[in-house]
Amino acid sequence: MMFSSMRAAKVVVIFALAGTISAAGETRQQLHFKVGRKPSISINNQYGAVSVKAGAKREVAVIAILHSDKVEIDQSHRGNRVDIVSHLLAGADQSTGQVDYEVVVPADANVTLTSMTGPLHAEKLHGDVVMEGNTADVDVRDVSDAHVHVKTLNGPVTLTDIRDGHVEITSLGGDVILTSVSGPLVSVNSSSGKIRYDGDFGDGGEYNLTSHTGDILATAPSYASIDVTARSEQGQVENDFQLQPKHTSFPIKAGSAFAGTVGKAASSVRLFSFSGKIHLKKR
Amino acid sequence: MTCEEFERVLPEHEGSHTIEQQSHLKSCAPCLELVADLNAISEQAKFLQDTDEPNPRVWNSIEIALRQEGLIREPESAPFLVHSQPRRRRLAWLIPAGALILLMFGVMQYKRAPVQSVAQKPVSASAVSVIADASSLDDQQLLEVVSKHAPAMRASYAANLRDVNSYIRDAEESVRIDPNDEQAQKYLMDAYEQKSMVYEMAMDRSLP
Repeated sequence: MMFSSMRAAKVVVIFALAGTISAAGETRQQLHFKVGRKPSISINNQYGAVSVKAGAKREVAVIAILHSDKVEIDQSHRGNRVDIVSHLLAGADQSTGQVDYEVVVPADANVTLTSMTGPLHAEKLHGDVVMEGNTADVDVRDVSDAHVHVKTLNGPVTLTDIRDGHVEITSLGGDVILTSVSGPLVSVNSSSGKIRYDGDFGDGGEYNLTSHTGDILATAPSYASIDVTARSEQGQVENDFQLQPKHTSFPIKAGSAFAGTVGKAASSVRLFSFSGKIHLKKR
Repeated sequence: MTCEEFERVLPEHEGSHTIEQQSHLKSCAPCLELVADLNAISEQAKFLQDTDEPNPRVWNSIEIALRQEGLIREPESAPFLVHSQPRRRRLAWLIPAGALILLMFGVMQYKRAPVQSVAQKPVSASAVSVIADASSLDDQQLLEVVSKHAPAMRASYAANLRDVNSYIRDAEESVRIDPNDEQAQKYLMDAYEQKSMVYEMAMDRSLP
């Protein structure tokens, strides 16, 4: 398996078919790369959208819309790695430096996307997904058996249908919305953004949702199997579940903390905020 | 010798100073404090293991920022710190690099420290204290870099730094109140992780 993978990587051939169509100051570029199994695809775009979807097994197809001639695309293809960079030229700004990418990659590709403004979108992948953006909206959906790591300053983050994921999200001010997200690790670290989780907390995972001032709302079905600890230093906590009591390392003050188990307590759920409100809601 | 002259030659005299410099230090409290901070940073940096190296992107960002400040002048053929281990070591004296190292170090200390040992480890507490002292200076430098290359984003980064510093202050206060509080330690670790992210993004994104 390893040998065939290496071999496939070695025979990777780039046949950069680049079509260029100009219209109204915009330029459209198409790039194609032949890749092996589990390729690494990196797209670093200062301004503009990047959308990645799963497609053919051994091919990466990129359509880029350049909004002016003050930006160009640098590409490199080495081994099983493809790097695309939007290269801003002198005088470029957020408008003229914008490039919008639509990318089709093999479903097993490991993808790294960076954009200040975004939006960033990835779907139907089962390779690792790493996204970074300042104000970029981040949207990841239908990803399984993969790491999903997201960093944003003020951009909102939406994750939907992430299965068996190793999910780590760090956001300063962006709201984080997780719907049907489960896996061995789901960790959200926010400063002022709200955190919303709607799912069943899986079976045997660790879920850490932490915010400094943002509210945390976690919604789970009655059959959820969780060992939960929730605490807000200065905010209120609310719980809809009938919890079996458990020992905690800190004193439980009514209204500001709760802890206990539901069902077989398969997953660990930790909800912490400094001054935000925490609500564990039964669906 | 003026403060400016002293700061210019400071990186070249790790731990030892000429008579002229010593004379300046005797009469200048800010420079004396700077030297004390740098010594503390240098001492703490020795605890860093090779495996604890920050992400290469951090080194790249630091070097790019230092070049833009005119603090490093090297041939174009070797543009990134990550390619030059010896040069990287020499730059440990420089304030932004040291502060970032300590930022990482503080996070790692809290990641590693067992609950019971935090109160018994003054190293962690002093490291955090040094970080806090260096922090405002470092924040100002960061904002200057942002102002130079992306002036429109300065206000946004200033607000982000205020938020994350507030997070750190609250977390530090919680640790101070109860050093054995595991969650308080995690708050602090998370807060530093956020600050590290702000720095990384600001330096990456503010480049031309």
